[in-house]
Amino acid sequence: MSSNAITVPGVQIDEKPWVDILHEWVTTVDHKRLGILYIGYALLFLVVGGIEAIIIRIQLMYPHNDFVSPQVFNRMFTMHGTTMIFFVAMPILFGFANYLVPVMIGARDMAFPRLNAFSFWLSALGGFLLYFSLVGANGLYGAGNAPDVGWWAYAPLTAPAFSLGHSSDYWTLALLVSGFGSIGTAINIIATILCLRCPGMTLGRMPLLVWLNLVMSGMVLITITPLSAAQIMLLVDRYLGGHFFDAQAGGSAVLWMHFFWIFGHPEVYVLIIPCFAFMSEIIPVFSRKPIFGYPVMVAATICIGFVSMSVWAHHMFTVGMNSYANSFFAITTMAVGVPTGIKIFNWIGTMWGGRIQFKTPMLFSIAFLFQFLIAGLTGIMLGCVPFDWQLSLSYFVVAHFHYVIVGGILFALFGAFYYWYPKFTGRMLSETLGKWHFWLFLIGFHMTFDLMHIPGLLGMPRRIYTYEPGRGWDTLNLLITIGAFIQTIAVLVFVANLLISYFKGDKAGNDPWDAWTLEWSISSPPPAYNFASIPVVTSRRPLWDMKHPEDPDSRYE
Amino acid sequence: MTTLPTTQPISEDPRTPREIEMPAPTAWPLVLALGFTLLFAGLVTSQSVTVLGAVLSLAGCVGWFREVLPREHEEVVPVVPDDTRITTERRIVEMIPIAHSARAWLPIKTYPVSAGVKGGLAGSVAMAVLACTYGVLKAGSIWYPINLLAAVDYSESLKLGPTQLYSFHADAFAIALVVHILVSALVGLLYGAMLPMFARHPIVLGGLIGPVLWSGLLYTCLGLVNPLLASRIDWPWFIASQVAFGIVAGFVVVRQSPMPTRENLSFAIRAGIEAPGLTPPREGDKRP
Repeated sequence: MSSNAITVPGVQIDEKPWVDILHEWVTTVDHKRLGILYIGYALLFLVVGGIEAIIIRIQLMYPHNDFVSPQVFNRMFTMHGTTMIFFVAMPILFGFANYLVPVMIGARDMAFPRLNAFSFWLSALGGFLLYFSLVGANGLYGAGNAPDVGWWAYAPLTAPAFSLGHSSDYWTLALLVSGFGSIGTAINIIATILCLRCPGMTLGRMPLLVWLNLVMSGMVLITITPLSAAQIMLLVDRYLGGHFFDAQAGGSAVLWMHFFWIFGHPEVYVLIIPCFAFMSEIIPVFSRKPIFGYPVMVAATICIGFVSMSVWAHHMFTVGMNSYANSFFAITTMAVGVPTGIKIFNWIGTMWGGRIQFKTPMLFSIAFLFQFLIAGLTGIMLGCVPFDWQLSLSYFVVAHFHYVIVGGILFALFGAFYYWYPKFTGRMLSETLGKWHFWLFLIGFHMTFDLMHIPGLLGMPRRIYTYEPGRGWDTLNLLITIGAFIQTIAVLVFVANLLISYFKGDKAGNDPWDAWTLEWSISSPPPAYNFASIPVVTSRRPLWDMKHPEDPDSRYE
Repeated sequence: MTTLPTTQPISEDPRTPREIEMPAPTAWPLVLALGFTLLFAGLVTSQSVTVLGAVLSLAGCVGWFREVLPREHEEVVPVVPDDTRITTERRIVEMIPIAHSARAWLPIKTYPVSAGVKGGLAGSVAMAVLACTYGVLKAGSIWYPINLLAAVDYSESLKLGPTQLYSFHADAFAIALVVHILVSALVGLLYGAMLPMFARHPIVLGGLIGPVLWSGLLYTCLGLVNPLLASRIDWPWFIASQVAFGIVAGFVVVRQSPMPTRENLSFAIRAGIEAPGLTPPREGDKRP
């Protein structure tokens, strides 16, 4: 029984053998445990992907460095990109959604608990399959033992003639398997939100985190499917003699680009929208004000969901599309900045005049606001066709998307960890270590990715193995690598904080932040059933109403 | 700071059940996922792996079906006594007795969306007139500024030679028209939203200083985004056209009648559905 996991005050429970504990976790269908499994699995791959990043940076630290061979370098950037997007960012965000969505809408579990477990295991096994290539793909002389075609895997690099052995197949199959898992989770989140909301929780009263995860899940359904279709087409090309992407036999390499980027660009929004959701919960609580412009925030998110589906070919300005296509995708790229800007204004509007508490979650959130703004501005710059023609495939682009993914997504995730860790574990994370983590990571991040724009502007191409001295890149690359090491130290502080606080952290209580959404009304960690009685809500801030019956929000909504 | 215990512990709620049925743990989803993965992994390892994957997939499906058919397998979880209390550390503030609606109905009035669009479109006409005047007087062709505008987004315009820039091109004209109207309407919308924020001198602030700042921003970054276009722009005329846009747009927006904000009304009312009884009146609701 999953109730074994519940601690009953005043009741002595014998410590269980580790086999029983393992069995409970492996067979669980509880959304909270699956959420933690998603997060733990993603953190494991974060360490792996981080090590790959450090190897890349050490290689580029000096001109003519040969820390790794060119072949290993190619594998490192391929595995780093694939791992971070598919096996870190997506699962960790699904983990938070799994844990938080039911408890924020007053539900006892996800709509399809078994599908939830199935989706998690598919995603996890997909990641393990990718890394099994290190062992399993080493069967052919000169073929290499891990994918090395970049995380876009452009044709014709993936053609049998250029990708010997099975390394590209492992890449394809791993993404295909984990993609099915993502689709299952997205269906589950949508069904849960639409069908399991507690009485009184109309769509207009849902927490923004729930709204944004609904939009994100819809986008996953639309974007993962073309990627899966493309993977199957690639398998047909490689195994059954198909020619979908073989330009010499009537196929089209550009077709792969379209399939990949119609997934790839909305994927950025799939990843950033849940981070918007974190911001929309954290910023109001630490500003002691309700979110500014709730309906507009929802509308802007839906707008981003739609518009972001029509921007994918701005990744392909340099492939030779006609001017009309270039113009269309440039305009849509500019247009997606409008609802995104609205969100930034609304978060600032929420903070404006508030009694801001600079706790660690809020520090990460404020950093997110500034960094995501800069990332958006460089994105707009790259959305200009002439600018993109000059800097596509340069380190400027690498700096831009790392500003989005690290400066935006990772900072928001760290904020979410500090905010919800007390709910997950019943213990507070250390504020002292949290501030060390924040400042070290902030310094390391800016040292790495601010400077990275400059070698890009000076002409340093991405994915370059090494370079000649005297081009103005030397010192910059050294500083960038030092910044990466500072970030590594910050992440180690974070991991130490997670572990130390789990055992020795202050007791959190049910509501350590004096917050307003339903998850803070139940004990930390919540019991297996979440809510003994299903709550009834009458406003967007049900806990505010309970804390202030003399002045409830329901009077004004 | 004061802590206010405002609710009773959940365990004291007489409606709380003693036991709750939850989905029972099961390994079949893991078995199916493993089988599914091995089914694919066999393509790059061995046929025997595919066969194992197929067997596990079949077993996983059967086990899963038996888990939910004919009746979902559930377990009974006892409800744990819980003394969770809903409290707050918010300062107790003596509320000034005012009309209850004073808190949430701000701003009381704002400009409708259409005011912003109208202002933007009117401003776009003023801007176009000035730009075309510049084309005729300074460049000798009305098409010159239009081709330049199209070049913001249309790479074919970038390829036009010095003489071609002065002649009519239908595609460039169409794109310039779309860009001009679209951006003007969006900026007009922004004006409509922002002008109520400027309590004094709305046209000076929103219609004059704003466009000058916007021109300054463009001046600094246009050379980076599009050096060719930046080299051909006549900045005094460009800034003048921006100012003309701002003044006309601001003037048109301010002339529109502000309307009461409706963001807190129900969707039915905002959608204009007039059905008595559809939306029950709220206590003390005095809104128009």
